[in-house]
Amino acid sequence: MTVADLKSGRKARIKTIDFTHPSSFRVMEYGFTPGQEIEIMNKAFLGDPLSVSLRGTLIAIRKTDAKCIELDGEE
Amino acid sequence: MQSVLSLTAKNKNTLHGKSNSTPQSKLHSKSLITLVGSPNSGKTTLFNHLSGRKSRTVNYPGATVEYSYADFLECFSVNSKILDSPGIISLIPSSPDEKVTIENLFRHKIFGTPDLFVVTLDASQLSRHLLPALQLKDTGVNVILVITMRDILNQKGYDIELAEIRSLTGCDAVFFDGISGYGKEELSVLINYHLNNPDIPDIIVTAPGPELKEVNLINLFRRIERISENVIIKYDNSSGLTPDITNANKSLVIAGYDRKGLNKPDRTTLKIDSFMLHKYWGIVIFLCIMAFTFTSIFWLASPVMNLIDFIFRYSADYFTDAAGDSWFSDFISNGIIGGTGGVLVFLPQIVILFFILGVLEDSGYLARGAMLIDKPLSKIGLNGRSFAPMLSGFACAIPAIMAARTIQNKRERYITIFIIPLMSCSARLPVYGLLVSYLFGDEHFYSGITLAAIYLFGILSSLVVAGFINKYRSSFIKVEDNSSFIMELPVYRIPQFGFVFKSTLDNSWQYVKKAGPIILSFSVVLWIFTYFPNPDPQFKVTEGLSTEQISFLKSSERISNSYAASFGKIIEPLMKPIGLDWRVGVSLIATFAAREVFVSSLALIFKVTENEGNTRESLVNAMHTAETGTGGKKLFTFPAIIGLIVFFVFALQCISTLAVTRKETGGWRIPIIQLAAYSILAYMLAFITFNGLNLLM
Repeated sequence: MTVADLKSGRKARIKTIDFTHPSSFRVMEYGFTPGQEIEIMNKAFLGDPLSVSLRGTLIAIRKTDAKCIELDGEE
Repeated sequence: MQSVLSLTAKNKNTLHGKSNSTPQSKLHSKSLITLVGSPNSGKTTLFNHLSGRKSRTVNYPGATVEYSYADFLECFSVNSKILDSPGIISLIPSSPDEKVTIENLFRHKIFGTPDLFVVTLDASQLSRHLLPALQLKDTGVNVILVITMRDILNQKGYDIELAEIRSLTGCDAVFFDGISGYGKEELSVLINYHLNNPDIPDIIVTAPGPELKEVNLINLFRRIERISENVIIKYDNSSGLTPDITNANKSLVIAGYDRKGLNKPDRTTLKIDSFMLHKYWGIVIFLCIMAFTFTSIFWLASPVMNLIDFIFRYSADYFTDAAGDSWFSDFISNGIIGGTGGVLVFLPQIVILFFILGVLEDSGYLARGAMLIDKPLSKIGLNGRSFAPMLSGFACAIPAIMAARTIQNKRERYITIFIIPLMSCSARLPVYGLLVSYLFGDEHFYSGITLAAIYLFGILSSLVVAGFINKYRSSFIKVEDNSSFIMELPVYRIPQFGFVFKSTLDNSWQYVKKAGPIILSFSVVLWIFTYFPNPDPQFKVTEGLSTEQISFLKSSERISNSYAASFGKIIEPLMKPIGLDWRVGVSLIATFAAREVFVSSLALIFKVTENEGNTRESLVNAMHTAETGTGGKKLFTFPAIIGLIVFFVFALQCISTLAVTRKETGGWRIPIIQLAAYSILAYMLAFITFNGLNLLM
């Protein structure tokens, strides 16, 4: 399961980053790293991009980019 | 900003690197300090405090795309220059363009190599903002950390221990409060100390390489988590102890305590977002905000515009009455007052546009707008990040094209740059304003709707063009890189209206300063071309004619034999098919200097033929009575005006835009394609509109 599949208002912990994905590096630079807790706060019209709570801030991210963030499963 | 040329001369010594600069030589040559930091980390605020400048801070990631450069304020007695760099989240480049940006930090081709880096970090965002700081430190340069926004962290119930951050990062660190400026003295002392005691060996400093970047990044984050774990401590205000004593007692706090709230985003922001980014309402609010922005440009501005109009008309009449009927009087009232008045009358609209853009930016909404529009824009080869450049394209294409640098993907950036000229910039407002008030007179409601429709038409055309390029992109831009959209959504804040207003006035003044001399000199040139070579035509039979009739005869004789007329006759075959004559043709040629010249040029040419008053209202009257050279038909028919509007939507009549596109795309290819495509489109569509409407009517 990845961030792209997570429902609004659900929290989850990042398990790993898929480094074969072309956005993986940028995603990590924004602070999406294994162990971090994230939560989907909002979704734009048509459900994409997502507004994600991470490290005390909000990051807007496209679903295609969010696909490389794999989750531990919902808490 | 200072001119680039003067900077080159000043920094010759720093250009050759730091190896030749000793503390002695620094007395003669100023050293250089570069501010680095993540977007929204308070970098520009610190820059303003240290330099005494008033650069506006903006609540939008990547707002600073240009370097700002200044001296330290004298009160700090730091003999150094200070450079504000664009915000970065990481030092490892993921594209050739980012590589240039990052290499510029270490060895800027104009500003040289910095002697010291000052990195700003938002205390409440420490773990993310430590990334560029540590990457920078790891390259071996001298770094001072400046921790900003400590109050926000305190509100969450936490604090940062400076001693710990110093020992764990190996950098000196200070607190700095952006509002009061607290901490800047301590920082200046530290800076002076580091400049006089450079503790680093003379190594050649280069930007970090891409080798093993994933592993490096993971290791770096491991370090970052350890640092933030250790430096962020519980902040207990209720104990009555000062933070320092709390820090001293830190060892008493058990490690691994509950860190609830630390990683919670700002609560007010989340509340506002639940409306602004609502699944359905979000897009409705977005469209309402956009609609409000564009309609208010017209409806809010009209009372002020009427006032300016009145002042110019009054002063031109006053001058003509006072100076009598001479070439000088004609020159002043038509060449100068009439020409500039026709353009300045649109200043209120420009001010309102800049102000609303500033408020959107400063409140934090702009980034949300980018997020909301990303999905639709991605369908036509654009990006959510194209939104802010496109929006500022409504003010002026030049800063807008520069703002496109925040789009990482090259293809998306080029397409954005390509379509920005289709956004109705403020220079086109005077033209549309004139043409629309010709059609509707004082009916502000219809004028507003029509102007809004013109704007919408420009936007829709830009989307069609973008979609078209995207479809045939392989022949247009030969780059296929990963398209992504990841963007920080800043905390909402109440816009600093004072700052926004000041920068609005600055921007508007820049507009007047840039456009004013061009308009004025073109007015003068046009006046000469329409007045000479036959300034005082003589008539054999003047008996039985009133003075007014003689004066009218004289001026029409004068203009039809003028230089402008003979030039206009050459281009007349081009103007006929779109329902216009040489007089409009001459004005269209003049617009290459600046689009708004169109109005003053029309004012001048039609004033001379029609002998009417000045400024917009009387120009409209003059246009109403204007006839074609042959057969006394009305010149400005409805189809001709609509055709002219369509022409202005597409025509790329702005040399500065072409120049900045060349600079941003690194060659003449894109600007030449742009110019050719838009000129052909403008002419063909004006032709189709004019003839199509003629058939229908």
